[in-house]
Amino acid sequence: MIIRTESGPSLSIVHLVGRFDAHEAEGFRRTVEPLLSAEHNVLRLDLSQVAFVDSTALAELVRLQKAAKALSGEVILVELSDPVRVILEITDLAGIFTTESTSAESP
Amino acid sequence: MTEVTSAYRAYRQWVTEPLEGPPVVSVVIPAYNEEWRILPTIGAIATHMSSRGEPWELIIADDGSTDSTVALIQDLRFANLRLLIAEKNAGKGNAVRRGMLAARGSVVLFADADQSTPIEQFDRLNALIHEGFDVVVGSRAAEGAEVSGKSLSRRILSGGLRIVVSKGFGVSVSDTQCGFKLFTADAAKTLFSMQIVEGFSFDLEVLYLAHKLGYRTTEVPVEWIDAPGSTVDAAKVSMQFLRDLMRIRLFDARGRYQNVDSQAATRGARAAVAANEKGTRA
Repeated sequence: MIIRTESGPSLSIVHLVGRFDAHEAEGFRRTVEPLLSAEHNVLRLDLSQVAFVDSTALAELVRLQKAAKALSGEVILVELSDPVRVILEITDLAGIFTTESTSAESP
Repeated sequence: MTEVTSAYRAYRQWVTEPLEGPPVVSVVIPAYNEEWRILPTIGAIATHMSSRGEPWELIIADDGSTDSTVALIQDLRFANLRLLIAEKNAGKGNAVRRGMLAARGSVVLFADADQSTPIEQFDRLNALIHEGFDVVVGSRAAEGAEVSGKSLSRRILSGGLRIVVSKGFGVSVSDTQCGFKLFTADAAKTLFSMQIVEGFSFDLEVLYLAHKLGYRTTEVPVEWIDAPGSTVDAAKVSMQFLRDLMRIRLFDARGRYQNVDSQAATRGARAAVAANEKGTRA
C-alpha cells in the first residue's frame, strides 16, 4: 500500500492506495500516528483508491479515531471506494466516522 | 456525505432484492471460525460481483464454526446470500462440496474466506470459461503470478509437492491448492459429486478427477497475498497432503471412482453428438 501525506496549518490529509491489510497496519500506524497532535487534531483519510480493508485495518482506523477524539478532534474518511464503504457498513463501523465526498452524485 | 455510485446501487439491489431466476454466477466460500475475516471478504466480493451486472449468488458453507461466524452472517440478512450451516467440523473439502452442490449458477467459483486472491481476479478466470474451458484454476505458480508474503519454507514445500503431483497424477496445472477455482455448472456437479477427500487435499482429488474425465482444465496466474494470522503448519500440511496423494491413488485402484469411466464415456458421446450436429448445421 502506498501512503502519501499532506500536512496543512490545522489538518492533515493522508492518501492511501492499494490493499490495506494486516501487512500494512504497522507502516500505517508509524506514518500516520505522528500527524495527530493537539494543534493538528483533525485527520482526513482519502480512501478512494483502496480496494480492500481487512479486520486489522479496520481496527487501525478505529484506534486512530479514538486517538483523535482524545485530542478533541476526529478522523474524516473522504472519497470512500465502493468496497471500503460496503465493508464499513456491514461491520457497523460506518457510523463512527464522518465521511465526505467532493464529487457530485452520479445520475 | 458519500456519493452513490452505480456499483453501490447494484450492491444495494443485490442485498435487498431476491433474484427472479437462476444466477449466472455462484460464489462459494467455505468458512470455519472466520469471525475475524468473513465480513470484509463478503463486502469485497459483494461489491465487485454486483458491479458486473450479471445475476449472482453467494453461498457461505460453514464448517461447524464454534465462534460467531454463523451469527455474523445470519445478521446480514442479504437476499441472495445462502448460509449452509454444518453441525460439526468435517473438513474444508466437505464444506466446499456442500457449497458447490448447492450452487445454481452457470459457473461456480470457489474462493477462500481470507480474500488472499482478490475477487477482481474472477474476471480473468471467467474469460477462459467463455473460451471453452470447464475448469479454470487460479495459480500462484504460473508465470505472471504475483505472490506476496509466502515464506521460503512454504515456497520450497509447494515446489516439491508440485513435482510429485505433476509426475504422479498427470495433473497439468502447477498450483493445485490455490483457493480460487472456477467451474462450469456441469463440471462442478460431476466432480464434487465424486469427491471423497474431506480435508484440504480435496482440490487435488477434484483436479485428478477432472483430468480423468477429460474436462478441459487450465490455470491463470493470479495475484495472491498471504493472509496474516494463518495457523497452517506448512510441514504438517505437506505430510498430510502426501498421505492424501496415496489415498487418492488407493481410492482409484479400488474402484471408488468407478463412475469416472462411464462419465467420461458419456461426455465423449455428448461431444461427438455435438460435433456431428455442428457439422450438419454447417
